[in-house]
Amino acid sequence: MERAKKRVKPADFLLLAVTIILAVLFLYPVFFALISAFKSNGDILKNPSGLPTSFYIQNFKDLFQQSDFTTAILHSVFLTVVSEALIVCIVPMAAYGIERGKSKITSYIYTYFLAGMMIPFHLYMFPLFKEMKMFHIFGTMAGPIVCYISGSVAFGCLLYCSFLKGIPLEVEEAAMIDGCTPFQTFWKVTFPLLGPCTGSMIILNGLNIWNDYLMPYLALPSGKAKTITVEIASFVGQYTARWDIVFAGTIISIVPALAIFCAFQKYFVKGVTAGAAKG
Amino acid sequence: MSIKKKGFDRTTFLFIAPAFIFFTLFIIVPTISSVYYSFTSWDGISENVKFIGLANYKEIFTSARFGNALKNTVILTVFISIAENLFALALALIVDNIRWGKNFFRSAFYIPVLISGIVSGFIWKIMYNFNFGSINAILNDIGMGQFRQDWLGNTHLTLIMIGVVLVWKGAGYYMIIYLASLQSVSVDLIEAAEIDGANPWQRFKKITIPLISGAFTINFTLSLINGLKVFDQINVMTDGGPGFTSETLVYLLYKVGFNEGRQGFGTAVGIMLLFIIIILNTVQQKFLRSREVQM
Repeated sequence: MERAKKRVKPADFLLLAVTIILAVLFLYPVFFALISAFKSNGDILKNPSGLPTSFYIQNFKDLFQQSDFTTAILHSVFLTVVSEALIVCIVPMAAYGIERGKSKITSYIYTYFLAGMMIPFHLYMFPLFKEMKMFHIFGTMAGPIVCYISGSVAFGCLLYCSFLKGIPLEVEEAAMIDGCTPFQTFWKVTFPLLGPCTGSMIILNGLNIWNDYLMPYLALPSGKAKTITVEIASFVGQYTARWDIVFAGTIISIVPALAIFCAFQKYFVKGVTAGAAKG
Repeated sequence: MSIKKKGFDRTTFLFIAPAFIFFTLFIIVPTISSVYYSFTSWDGISENVKFIGLANYKEIFTSARFGNALKNTVILTVFISIAENLFALALALIVDNIRWGKNFFRSAFYIPVLISGIVSGFIWKIMYNFNFGSINAILNDIGMGQFRQDWLGNTHLTLIMIGVVLVWKGAGYYMIIYLASLQSVSVDLIEAAEIDGANPWQRFKKITIPLISGAFTINFTLSLINGLKVFDQINVMTDGGPGFTSETLVYLLYKVGFNEGRQGFGTAVGIMLLFIIIILNTVQQKFLRSREVQM
């Protein structure tokens, strides 16, 4: 606001020029993937930096014909949607319990969750898979899903707890006086007020699940299509000579994330900053 | 739970229980069992697990492969953290000060964050390719053909080239945190300093920097910890090679665990990784936090 009143200075143009150059550099790899997805393999090899000469979609046709990419897409969507739905059922409730039922025990639980954030997945993955075999969920979609839920608890609680502090108690008290049980109060009164927080959590978690590689790669049955990322990684080994197909796959992987980013930008920003403020 | 009543009652328990059970069962339990497995020669398949005491840890401290992986991890992590923070702060300052297209540029710098590790690794792997990559092609086009090289094959460059991909992918994320912090710096303070005759550099150094030190602490810690955990890009770009030049701790853990059937040793490497992360976090809490300026 203050700045808007100032006059345009030459420095502003200089800054704009520098920024445009940086933006071009940052977006170039994405642009490169995009143009390559619409070029034949020969074109990619002969002229890597050139634009596609025609609207060439053979790569996408080949991708779906030569591999089970449809299943991979369905798996990715299924894992993301089901995990998110369960996360939204479980995590905000836990944060509500911690924040509103405040006692020594809940603050210990909160610290316990936060301490768990430090543990790298790679450390416990071997015993985790053994445990999953014990529960007979290894090699099924349930395996990654339970892990995504567990992995989202710490960050989710952190996000929701800081957000819950700003929600006035009066509304909840009124609901309880009107005869709501604590569960009804939470789901009908408080949860709708937590909308922006839920949005941020869904989006940041969704991106992680959608882009995850190691978990589905190791925990889903081998010999079949797994998820988009796993398929792309396997193409890199398998079709070393068919970059065109892999690029078509990368575009399919990027587009949904990009579309959701464009639609819900503010939730990305809020989630990142709210997480950092307390992290 | 009634709001006024204090204490841990049944309702509170029911609210927290599902998350607590998931978290304990699928993070804490396997973590604790991995402490146990790190003292065994478990191969990941057989049912009988043989206890071998400290042998895995002894191997860690004596084997050249672990030393090499630790060195690679330190190089990669330090490079990533410094470069990411410099870039992120520069981008945040740019986006904060630019007159036109603030939102557009913020999004542009954030877009790489959205791309998965595997996909970003693949795109850059092709760009780095010696014969068919676009980087060499562009260098040729602008008359700097003498700099063309096998970017990932040159053992002096491999780690840094992987680092470049991670900085490209991560800078936008930290930029958002710096940006939020910059926007919370009060305009009054800056204007007061301006009236007192401070030049832009002095204003930046004496007012902005101390006030965004909180964001700096967070970003530096986050980028260090994320740097330690890099896996996807190494997997798709070099598979730890050429030789062992890009084998980091996480990658060593994965390779000995899955390719060499030595998950006991792998978990011991993981325990070392956890120790490093705990130390970094403690240092952050004790050292960096104390230097922050609170408003």
